[in-house]
Amino acid sequence: MDWEALSLSLRLGLFTILVLLPVGIAVGRWLAFHDFPGKSAIEATAALPLVLPPTVLGYYLLVAFGAASPIGQLWHSAFDRPLVFTFEGLLLASIIFNVPFAVQPIQRGFEAIPREVREAAICCGMTPWKALRTVEIPIAWPGILTGLVLSFSHTLGEFGIVLMVGGSIPTETRTIAIAIYDRVQAFDDRGAATMSALLLGFSLVSIALTFAFSRRIGRRLDRS
Amino acid sequence: MANRISDPLFFLSALFAGLLSVAAAGLPATAATATVAAASDLRFALAEIADNFTARTGHAVRLTFGSSGNFSRQIRQGAPFDLFFSADENYVLGLARDGLTRGTGALYAVGQIVIFVPEGSPLQPDGSLNDLRHALEGGRLRKFAIANPEHAPYGKRAEEALRHEGLWAAIQSRLVLGENVSQAAQFAVSGSTDGGIIAYSLVLSPRMARRGRYALIPEALHSPLRQRVVLLKNAGLAAERLYDFLRTVPAKSILERYGFVLPDSGG
Amino acid sequence: MTGLSVRLHQERPIPLDAEFACLPGELLALVGPSGSGKTTILRSIAGLYRPESGRIAIDGAPWFDSKTGIAIAAHRRHAGLVFQSYALFPHMTAVENVMAALDHLPAQDRRRRAGEFLDLVHLSGLENRRPDALSGGQQQRVAVARALARDPQVLLLDEPFSAVDRATKQRLYREIALLRQSLKMPVILVTHDLEEAMVLADRMCVLHRGRTLQAGTPAEVTTRPVSPEVARLVDLRNLFDGAVAEHRAVDGKTVIDWMGMRIEAALQTAFAPGKAIAWVVPDGFVVLHRRDRPSRGDQENPVAGRIDSLAVVGQTAQITLRIADDDVHPLHFSVPAHVARRNGLVVGGKATVSLLAEGIHLMASVPGDGR
Repeated sequence: MDWEALSLSLRLGLFTILVLLPVGIAVGRWLAFHDFPGKSAIEATAALPLVLPPTVLGYYLLVAFGAASPIGQLWHSAFDRPLVFTFEGLLLASIIFNVPFAVQPIQRGFEAIPREVREAAICCGMTPWKALRTVEIPIAWPGILTGLVLSFSHTLGEFGIVLMVGGSIPTETRTIAIAIYDRVQAFDDRGAATMSALLLGFSLVSIALTFAFSRRIGRRLDRS
Repeated sequence: MANRISDPLFFLSALFAGLLSVAAAGLPATAATATVAAASDLRFALAEIADNFTARTGHAVRLTFGSSGNFSRQIRQGAPFDLFFSADENYVLGLARDGLTRGTGALYAVGQIVIFVPEGSPLQPDGSLNDLRHALEGGRLRKFAIANPEHAPYGKRAEEALRHEGLWAAIQSRLVLGENVSQAAQFAVSGSTDGGIIAYSLVLSPRMARRGRYALIPEALHSPLRQRVVLLKNAGLAAERLYDFLRTVPAKSILERYGFVLPDSGG
Repeated sequence: MTGLSVRLHQERPIPLDAEFACLPGELLALVGPSGSGKTTILRSIAGLYRPESGRIAIDGAPWFDSKTGIAIAAHRRHAGLVFQSYALFPHMTAVENVMAALDHLPAQDRRRRAGEFLDLVHLSGLENRRPDALSGGQQQRVAVARALARDPQVLLLDEPFSAVDRATKQRLYREIALLRQSLKMPVILVTHDLEEAMVLADRMCVLHRGRTLQAGTPAEVTTRPVSPEVARLVDLRNLFDGAVAEHRAVDGKTVIDWMGMRIEAALQTAFAPGKAIAWVVPDGFVVLHRRDRPSRGDQENPVAGRIDSLAVVGQTAQITLRIADDDVHPLHFSVPAHVARRNGLVVGGKATVSLLAEGIHLMASVPGDGR
């Protein structure tokens, strides 16, 4: 059991959802409440990581943030570390490839709020921030939570992109999924089996949770 | 109906939160830790050496194993390794030429390849590869594992040996390529192949030894595996001390135990 | 200028050309068929919709003025809006819903004050129920309480009774009528139900395709429509073409030529003799000549014809009378069902009615109106 890898994966997942919580709410809410030309294009772009092979995504991320790229070089001169093959680079990649897992459920959650309920909040004199806090989020929370659960578990399981962008550096970028791969290559079947069972159990729990939350959103959409 | 309520700008605050989080997440490696990229044939040997080193000096060692070609590419992209053990010295020399290393490093060992056959395989451990030829001609060979010749030196030598014996074309459709020689060994042992050509240092590990039989492939059949180690530009104190440790008797005896041929003097 | 004044104009996406005003304490009904822009106008007042041009002002202070670029954000306007779907916050109890509109009060007063508003709409005892545990009528009262809690400068009701059954509707009409007496602000009621407007409104504004066609008391609008279009919108079915024969100032009558007959109406000199006009007479001013009880009124504008249809609805018989065989526009009137029986009225049988002169109203004829 590679505790370092587990701790790394948990940290990666937690930081990812910490960032994706406000970003997901902002983007999901915006897409839920507004209709505009080009909206389908934006939704498709946000959904891209869902259908792209992870290695394609990994390749483009390397091109965008690698040592040869402007972003990578800027980062390196600012922090004296490269962006790729480090935890920060992995976190950035994780945030990007989790966008659809966060945005889509959150968007559904906000779509479940009847338009007139939102407008009623405005007519009650609530500022947009107050309306978000006291009306919208309490109603949309099943979607928000689904988005976070999916992003977290997806982070724990992602392999191809992590390997390409992060390498497999212990305590830096060797997540639990990579560690399993590593254990197999080291002929450590017991270690691989233990960690695999842990991930399997975790995935089952996440799926059960997301189904439960989706039902709540479905019920709300029916009622409105 | 066009609804033109203007929204508060969440995006700026979300972006700000994002950048803050990313910056706060960094865990810089300290000079007290050596971050090592090593060819997969060293998986067992270097692990032992590192344990020994840590016990003596207290410095922690972070080991990452993979194919030499892959690491060379990652290092060019700025991967933060301190020390690079390559199974083929050309990768090191290439990096040195491009100014990414401290000098050209040192030749630490010469590697050897073996043909490995797992329990129950129809193949025999025949280093001359004649048995393999018979199996191919008789249509008895299912799958055969080697490391990917594109970026794994042991895979390249396996290809050379097979070409030397005129078997390369015939064996193409049966080949299973491992990402690195360690994965190739995994495939060879797993029972889903009839065997493979992998690193001598791997089969000498007790974990592999009891799972099959092996035979050395004569060096005449391939170009030598001159294995070179080098310190990278930003290497810290721990990496430097590990580099020096390789020259000591304890390190050398471990390498010998794993079948490496040691150079008489540093390269 | 106190109260609400509204003037809106736009071409797309919904055409609007509306102008009306509502005084404090007055209830103005916006009436028209679906798609006539009534809800858009209401939402413009609330600030939920921004029209192309116009001006909306309350007590003289503008909430929206396209000329000066003023457009006060919706949450800063004090407009209480009761939505058609009530739009209660599903995750809050009734009292919490009302408290949501009471931010202008200090925290400790909010619950008490919210309770008072719920009392006002007769919902005490149900404060801690969630909307899904309340009936439609109860939810609507919470919505009204919440709108009032805002301490609004104008109260806006968007088809508030459309989803309610008939019996509840009657009860709610009475309650709203009572509640109104204590309301000091202008109240705008949007409805497609003419009867509702007649029962509740002080004044009524008829809309069609976003244009205000006529504003006035319900009695005025439904007996003196300004055009055939308005007449149709307020459900006046006795709408005919005719021509002015002469004006007789002597006995205060205007004579109309209609289907070969001479009909006498009250003097309306706006229309020159010989001019083609449209005229209308509400159902209530068409009186049956009763065989069992002849009266002197039978002399007034007698019209004979054949009964085309007779429908008994409740205690009333609704009858259409065809004047000539090729006439496509029959006369509509109604009598109590027992009168129809006693006079032996049957489909195909003959009957005579009187058109009371005071009810006959002339309007400019629109050529090609296609009645």
